[in-house]
Amino acid sequence: MKVYLGELEELVLLTIASLGDNAYGVSIQQDLEVRCSRSLTIGALHATIARLEEKGFLTSWLGGATSERGGRSKRFYEVTQAGKKAVTEAKLLRDELWQQAKLHLQP
Amino acid sequence: MRNQPPRLARRLLEWWSGSASVDDLLGDLDEWYAINSRRYSPLRAKAVYWGQALSLCLSYGLRKRKRDAANSVYASSGFSADMLRNYLKVSVRSLYQYKYFSLINVFGLAIGMSVSLLLIALVSYVKTYDDFHEHRASIYTITSERTEGIEQSDYATAPVLLAQALSGHADVQEIVRIQAGFDENIRLERGALSLRGYYVDPSFLSVFTYDVLQGDGQATLSTPNRVILTESAALRIFNTTDVLGRTLELEQGGLLEVGAIMKDHPINSHFKFELLIAYATLPPPSASLTDQWMNYGREYIYVRLREDGNVDHVREVLNHTSERVYAGLPVKAVFQAEPLLGTAMGPDYRQAIGPKWEMSGMIVFAVIAALILLPACFNYTNISIARSLKRAKEIGLRKTMGGQQRQIFAQFITETIVITLVALALGILIFLLARSEFKSMLASSSSLDLSLTPSMLFWFFILALGTGLLAGLFPAIYFGALNPIQALKNKVHSHGSAMRVRKTLTVFQFALSFGFILALVVFSRQYRYSVGFDFGFNKSNIVNVPLQGVDPAQVRDALAPLASVQQVTLASDVLGLSASSTWVKDATGDSTEVHQLFVDDSYLETFGLTLLAGSNFPDRPWHGERAILVNEEFLKAYRISRPADALGLTVEVEGKELEVIGVVKNFHYAPLRFPIERFFFRQDPERYTYAHLRVQSADAFTLFTELENRWKGLTDRRFEGRFYEQDLQDGYSMYRTLIKIIGFLGVLAITISLLGMLGMVVYTAETRVKEVGIRKVMGASVAGITLLLSKDYLKLMLLAVLVGAPVTAGLIGYLMPYIQYYSVALNLGDVLVATVILVGLGLATIASQTYQTARINPAETLRAE
Repeated sequence: MKVYLGELEELVLLTIASLGDNAYGVSIQQDLEVRCSRSLTIGALHATIARLEEKGFLTSWLGGATSERGGRSKRFYEVTQAGKKAVTEAKLLRDELWQQAKLHLQP
Repeated sequence: MRNQPPRLARRLLEWWSGSASVDDLLGDLDEWYAINSRRYSPLRAKAVYWGQALSLCLSYGLRKRKRDAANSVYASSGFSADMLRNYLKVSVRSLYQYKYFSLINVFGLAIGMSVSLLLIALVSYVKTYDDFHEHRASIYTITSERTEGIEQSDYATAPVLLAQALSGHADVQEIVRIQAGFDENIRLERGALSLRGYYVDPSFLSVFTYDVLQGDGQATLSTPNRVILTESAALRIFNTTDVLGRTLELEQGGLLEVGAIMKDHPINSHFKFELLIAYATLPPPSASLTDQWMNYGREYIYVRLREDGNVDHVREVLNHTSERVYAGLPVKAVFQAEPLLGTAMGPDYRQAIGPKWEMSGMIVFAVIAALILLPACFNYTNISIARSLKRAKEIGLRKTMGGQQRQIFAQFITETIVITLVALALGILIFLLARSEFKSMLASSSSLDLSLTPSMLFWFFILALGTGLLAGLFPAIYFGALNPIQALKNKVHSHGSAMRVRKTLTVFQFALSFGFILALVVFSRQYRYSVGFDFGFNKSNIVNVPLQGVDPAQVRDALAPLASVQQVTLASDVLGLSASSTWVKDATGDSTEVHQLFVDDSYLETFGLTLLAGSNFPDRPWHGERAILVNEEFLKAYRISRPADALGLTVEVEGKELEVIGVVKNFHYAPLRFPIERFFFRQDPERYTYAHLRVQSADAFTLFTELENRWKGLTDRRFEGRFYEQDLQDGYSMYRTLIKIIGFLGVLAITISLLGMLGMVVYTAETRVKEVGIRKVMGASVAGITLLLSKDYLKLMLLAVLVGAPVTAGLIGYLMPYIQYYSVALNLGDVLVATVILVGLGLATIASQTYQTARINPAETLRAE
C-alpha cells in the first residue's frame, strides 16, 4: 500500500532522523525553527508526530529527565524502518520527477 | 524565589488530558519556559507558556493520547478495591515500621478524641429525649418572654389562663395544664419522705404516652386529691406496688388517695416526677386575674395539635391574647409555641420543668472538645511533615514507578485514617473509663444514660474519619506534590512554609496548655481564697442545725443546757450561703430590693457581728414585727452618713411599718458571688429554719453524740447538724468541680502537646545523630549538646507563654467577676507558677531524649563514615 507523506510530515521525519539520539519535543521544534524558519506551534508539531506514529513511521521511548523540566522525562523519537522507507521513497519519487521535469533555474 | 511557570496553565492541561500521560509534554513546556525566560521578560514567557498549553489542548496529538489512554489496559476508573487493599497493606506496614511514632500518634489522637466522644455520647442521648411519646411531632409547649421594667427573660413557663384562650381553637386537639409545684413530705411511721410531682389535667395521659399499670389514670386525674404514683415511688413508700386505694398522709395536712400506678417514665424525658395529681386538687387561685397573668411561676402549658393543625395559627392566637391581656399592665409577656422535641436541648429558658441541657453549655463543651481535639490533629500533621525526609525516598520511588499524585494522596489519607481508627478504639476505652466521673460532674446526671448505642458508634466512626481527614490532609497534599527527583536525591528540605506551619501549631498547642495550667492555678487560689475569706463574722466553732420543721424554741431549750454549747441562736438561712430578699417602700413610694435574714436576739453575739449604733433585738420578741437592724449599705440608699442618724427611721416592708433600731457593720451575708448590698435583720419566730450553736469542745465526736441524743428526744427525724465551715466548703464545692474539670482537660491538653513535642524531639535527635557525633569528636560537652538540641523547643515554649499569658489573663479577668464578685485577681505569681510547670514538664520531655542522644558514643555513629 502506498502511504502518502505530507510535506510537514516529511520535514518532521527528516528532522528527527537528523537529530539522531536527541530527538524530543523541544529539540525538534528548535531545529525546525532554526533550519527551516518554520515557526510551528507545539500543538501542530505533536499533531504531526501523532499521525506519523499512527502510520508506524516513528517509535518513542521515555528518558532523560532534568531538573529544568521539573523532573519530568523527555519522550525521544526515532524513525522506524517503515519511516526510513517511506521518506526514501518520497525522495526517489522526487528525484525521478526532477530528472524528467528538466527544470532548471536560469541564473 | 525561583521563576515558576504559570501553575494554572499546567493544571488546565493536566486536567484536560485526564488519564493520558502527558508528563513529557509538561516537561517540554517547562523546558521551553526556561529557554523563554532567558530570552524574554517573565511575563512574556508566561504568555508563551499559556499559548503552548492551549495549543496542546486543541492538538490532535493530545486527543490521540487521550484516546489511547482510554483503551489502555492500564486505564483505571479511579477507584478499585485492589488499590484500596494495597493502600491498607502499605499503611499497616509503615505504621508497624515506625512503631514509636505510630504509638505517639495513636495515643495523642485517642486522648484528643476522648472529650469529643463524651460530647457525642451526651448529645446523641439528649437527642433521644421525649421520643417515646406517640404524638411527639404534634405536641408544642408554650414559652414566654417576660418583661418587667428593664428586666427581660425567657421562661419555659406560661400562665395557665392561656388554656382558656386556646381551648376550642380549630387547630388544637388537646391542652394540658401543668403546675409543677407539688413538693410535699409524706408522713410515714418510719419518718417523713419527700415526694415531687406535677398537678396535671386528665389530658396529660392522652397527650403524652405513659404506661398506666393499674387503675384508671384518666379517672384519677379527674378527681381532686387522687394521685397516680410511679412504680418506684410506690416501692419507696409502701415497699410494694399493690397500693391501689391506699392513702398518703401529707405532713402539711391532707390525705391523698392512690388512684393508679404507672410505670416509671423513661429517664430521657424533660419531665421528672414521682407522682401525678389531679389539677383540680389545687385550690382556686386567690390572686386577682391580672396577677395571675403577670406571675406564673411553675405553670406550664402543652398543646397537641390536630393532624392537619398549623402551629402558626396557634402562634397568632397567642400573639393576640398577649396584646389584649397585657395592655396597660406593668408586666408584659409574649408567648411562643415551641415543638416538644426541641425542648430538652433548645434555647436557654428559666424555670424549665425538668432536666434541661442548655444550648449555651453545649456550645462551650463543643468548643472545649475542639480545643482538645485540634492540637491532637496538629501533632499528627506536625510529626508527619517533620518525618517527610524519611518517607521522601519511598514516595520518590513510587512516583518514578508511575504513582500519580492522586494515589500518593490516597495512600497517606488511608494511613491517617487507619491510625485514627486505632486511636478511636483506645479513645473509646478512655471514654468508658471517664464516663462515670463525667456523669458525676453534670447536674442532670440522673437523666443521662451514656451506654454505647449503635447510632453513637456510628457518630464515633464519623468523628474518627473526620479527624483523620483533618489531620492527614496537609501531609497528604504535601507528599503528593513531592518532586521525585529531589526526593530521590535526598534534596528535600522542609519548606519554609511547612516549617512555619509546624512552629505555629506547636506554639498554639503550648499556649493552650499554658492557659489550662494558668486557669488551674488561679481557680485553686480562688477556692482557697473563698473558703478562707474574712466574711466579717465569726465562723469557726459554729454548728448549723437544720430544724426540719421542729419547733425552734424546743430545739433551743433542748440544746442550750449542754456544757459544750455556749450559745444557741435561731435564723431563717445560713449566713454567707443564702439570703432571701424583699421589697422596701420608702416615703416616696419607691420600691427597692433588700436582702433579709430573720434572726433572734442572740444572733449578733453568736456570730460576732458589730453593732455600730442603736441596740439589738429585745430578749422577748414583740407580738408582731416592729424593728429591723440594717447594714451600712442600707444607709447609703437613704444618704445617711452617720449610723446613729438612721435610728428611728421607719420603712414599709410587706405592708408593715418597721423601725430601724440598730446599724450593723457590713459583712458578707451572701455568697462571695454577690456584692454586699442593702440588707437588714428581722425578727419573726415563724421563719426560723436553722439553729446555730456556738460550741466549745475539743472532741467533735462526743459533741455530736450529745447533740444527737438531745435531738432524738424532740423528733424522729435524723439529726443533720454540721460544722459551719464544712457547709461553707460545700457551698464553694463548685470550685472543686471546676478545678477537677479544668485539671482533667489540662492534663489532656498537656499530654497531647508533650506527646507532640516528644515526637518532634525524637525525630530531630535521630536526624542529627551524626552531627552530634562530630561535635563530640571536636570536643563538645554532653550538657552543651543537650542544650543545643533543646534550644529551639525551649524558644517555642517561651513564645507560647508570651502568647498564652495575656489571652488567658484577659479571659479569666473577663469571666471571674461573673463567677464571683469578690475574686482574686490574676497576678504575676500565677503566671510564673504556670510557666514553671509548663516549661518544667516540657524540659523534662525534651531532656529525656536529647540527653540520650548527646551521650551516644561518637565512635558508634561515625564508624561507617
